[in-house]
Amino acid sequence: MPARYCQDSPDAIASCVLEDMVLLYHRPSGQTHMAIAPVPEILATLDDGAALTAGELLGQLAQLYDLGEPEEALPLVEAHLAELAALGLVRIA
Amino acid sequence: MNHALTLKIGPATFRIGSAWRQPVDALARLYADYPMPAGAIADFTVRLEPAGPFRRWFRPSIFITGDHGLADAAPMSLAHGLLAAEMGMNLQMALGWRRHLLLHASSVEKDGRALVMTGESGSGKSTLAAQLGERGWRLMGDEFALLDLETGAIFPFPRLVSLKNRAIGVLAAEAPAERMGPLLAGTAKGDIRHLIPRREAIGRMAEGAPPALLLFPRFGHEADVRPVGQGEVFMRLTQASTNYVALGEAGFAALSDFVRNVPARAIDFPSGDEAIALVERLWEELA
Repeated sequence: MPARYCQDSPDAIASCVLEDMVLLYHRPSGQTHMAIAPVPEILATLDDGAALTAGELLGQLAQLYDLGEPEEALPLVEAHLAELAALGLVRIA
Repeated sequence: MNHALTLKIGPATFRIGSAWRQPVDALARLYADYPMPAGAIADFTVRLEPAGPFRRWFRPSIFITGDHGLADAAPMSLAHGLLAAEMGMNLQMALGWRRHLLLHASSVEKDGRALVMTGESGSGKSTLAAQLGERGWRLMGDEFALLDLETGAIFPFPRLVSLKNRAIGVLAAEAPAERMGPLLAGTAKGDIRHLIPRREAIGRMAEGAPPALLLFPRFGHEADVRPVGQGEVFMRLTQASTNYVALGEAGFAALSDFVRNVPARAIDFPSGDEAIALVERLWEELA
């Protein structure tokens, strides 16, 4: 079974869009993260309590963005999810 | 403490106690125009104590302490007692202030709006603010700018301006002698002389202003102006703030609003006069 990922908690992140990046304030840790695409898009897709596998997430993102071939994009999405989980911004559902 | 003084600078009240009379007398003279609410409840205590049991009399040597202290701070000579008191006040603000987001920056005000300048020590931000303060701007502070967490306004912290090395001559040529403090020669930062802000700047020290321009000055280079991206501005301001992390989400909200709303430029300049011309031009164009 592939892992399902969700946001840390529904209200965990305050975000602020700047010209060249998005600021993410993680309320539980008090840490500020500076993120560029596709990290804010991944987090937005996991909004509203969604718990998705990397493949499902890619499917939803692909409806909005041109991500190239799925077999090349999937490992990148998985890597981003692992990184976000390590930072505490997402967790395995 | 044998000798003490209560002093208000901007929103902060300090009680400075000293084992020796000289630093307190020097402060009382230089801060004569500031409120000295005897008996007021102080936000911070600064203590200048002998570095050892006999060091009050024998090669007198000052150890700076107070509500917040640095364990490895080097003792200073009594001849530099005024500097020790100033450093003590800065230390308490940097480590203890929570009512505003504290930015290590100078600031000046004109027409009800504030110009904020931040950069490394030696960037020229302090000298530039002091010079602007003599040329029609209101000096709000040479060291700390206080960003209000609710309104986003910049509030002043107009302590004495600490002029170092070459900046001493630059300001001595512009400001009257009675507003210059004694020369403190051979300190860890070289020669230091304090400048008392103009009386109007002190009288209006409770008055904030919305920020209209942020500059990153750099002295000693060919004149140049560069835009700075908002991401870089945010990163540099978090580094310039001593209490960003401590303030949590309130600090994040205030700083991100500041970054989104205030235009920012990096400026290089080879001389003070060129810097002032550049600042006045950018203020006209952007603020």
